[in-house]
Amino acid sequence: MEVEVMESEMVLPQHLSFKRVQMSDKYPKGQSRGRHWKHLKQILQAENYQSFPPNQPNYVNIESPPSMYPSKKFCDITGFEAPYVDPRTNIRYANIEVFKLVRSLPNEYVQRYLALRNAAVVLK
Amino acid sequence: MFDANMTTFDRSKLLKEGTSHSHPIFCEDDDPVMDCVEMLLSVLVLNTCSTFIKITIGSESDIPLISPQSIGLPPVKKRRRTKKHLQCEELYSIHCTSHLLSNSTKRRKERLYISNSCTVSGVCSRNYRRTLAAAGHRSRKYIFHPLFNLPSAQRALDELVFEDLGFRSLFVADSPSLVHLYEASRRPEGLVSRARCSLVVDCGFSFTHAAPVLQNFTVNYGVKRLDLGGKALTNYLKELVSYRSVNVMDETLIMDDVKEKLCFVSLDVPRDLRIAWKQGKSNKFKCTYVLPDGVTHTKGFVKDWDEAKRYLNSADQGGSYLDATEPLQDTKRNRIDLAKNEFNLTNERFLVPEMLFRPADLGMNQAGLAECIVRAVNSCHPNLHPVLYESIILTGGSTLFPQFAERLYNDLRPLVPDHYQVKITKQEDPMLGVWRGGSLLASSPDFESMCVTKAEYEEFGSARCRRRFFH
Repeated sequence: MEVEVMESEMVLPQHLSFKRVQMSDKYPKGQSRGRHWKHLKQILQAENYQSFPPNQPNYVNIESPPSMYPSKKFCDITGFEAPYVDPRTNIRYANIEVFKLVRSLPNEYVQRYLALRNAAVVLK
Repeated sequence: MFDANMTTFDRSKLLKEGTSHSHPIFCEDDDPVMDCVEMLLSVLVLNTCSTFIKITIGSESDIPLISPQSIGLPPVKKRRRTKKHLQCEELYSIHCTSHLLSNSTKRRKERLYISNSCTVSGVCSRNYRRTLAAAGHRSRKYIFHPLFNLPSAQRALDELVFEDLGFRSLFVADSPSLVHLYEASRRPEGLVSRARCSLVVDCGFSFTHAAPVLQNFTVNYGVKRLDLGGKALTNYLKELVSYRSVNVMDETLIMDDVKEKLCFVSLDVPRDLRIAWKQGKSNKFKCTYVLPDGVTHTKGFVKDWDEAKRYLNSADQGGSYLDATEPLQDTKRNRIDLAKNEFNLTNERFLVPEMLFRPADLGMNQAGLAECIVRAVNSCHPNLHPVLYESIILTGGSTLFPQFAERLYNDLRPLVPDHYQVKITKQEDPMLGVWRGGSLLASSPDFESMCVTKAEYEEFGSARCRRRFFH
């Protein structure tokens, strides 16, 4: 800062005696203000679980493993039992009326329906 | 009343049994010389492991102060105008009034792990201030943690408790052991307290744990987690309703209400699907939920309760409705008048809780609850298996779905060897189960010696807490 500016006391001094918490303590230099949200994925990555011994239980490996049983098929549109799959869109459907609806859907909607059961095509 | 089991929570034992672990937190305030009565009164029990923070002061009889762990945000469009975030109590006391429609809630934690210590400290200190004022500033507190909390989150919590909030001592234990403790004390003659082991199924807000408990300690190599809980179910219901009738993607609170009131667990899914297929009166599951319109009613409600309750007597009629042939052609779902602000639910009512039992059907590559329990039991010593299967305790808010225990039994029976008995105990008040166990433990005489004091924390840092509580 220029000397003239400092001398003219136009800026606030660094230390304000009446403040219980000084600004410099509250917002240290070099650290971003505002709140830091960390998502669970980020935290998990930071924990570096790969380096842990595999026989020691921790957050990652207590997860329930994939099921041993075959899954049932439900219609993506109505939620009823779905004996059929549309080969073009991969949507499961219950009967012919739903099939008509499926064929009239634009691709964007099809993907959204598939996303309901995590089957959407994800482009990376 | 709970003497036999309390003594096993002795500190010496805590230190001996290094394989187990436990997590709640416990803190105590200033005054070093407190007489015993005051000490009992001044334990602040706090359950942070759910949508709602449950706080109480000391003994079991106290009614806990329940406050939600979230703040309300106005909808995105209005956010610029009203900058105010609703605090938790306001949110839930008036949460169904019209101007709060499509508020999103923002939680302090992601999957119950603290993701932002800043906001957590905000909500904690608010609550402490309120409760401490009531408790005459000598209160202590107790926080329950999810199993296998992340080390960084634990460190953050230690720091928060001792440095930001300035408590004097801290105790951490995990929820399954506390549920076990409570159940054992309630029925001193029961199997749970005689065998001193049980299998606690905690089906909570953000995930489900199946945890074997032995001698009041959670057997940590036996814990299995299913990444599904009340929140995921609400979201799924929200998606289903939005795709099929009215867009309710922003109405989390309303859909929570719908889930609690209308969802139930089906005992036989294919059969129920066939019933739900039908039109008119023979469809026992169809019911209507009316959304709030902000003028005549500010709360959403179920249009016809008798209609909604019909599924309960569907089971005793046997196969009589299976021979119905009419339905299959009239698949067109009833047109819903959007102006009337209501939507029908049929198969969504049981397909949503179904997710817990068969996640694979709905696109999650995880084993269902029954398989999860079997795996948790199988990872323990074979001698324990019969006892564990006979003492399954259900706790957590998601177990409140009607017919939950029956369905779990039906699912478990084929997976468990024939010569073992399966017995599932439901807790009376599953949402408060963990908290009750915690307050029980807090009122035990040797509780004092089990916690880490602030002096110890300052000397050894967070590692001290880790060692003491076996994280």
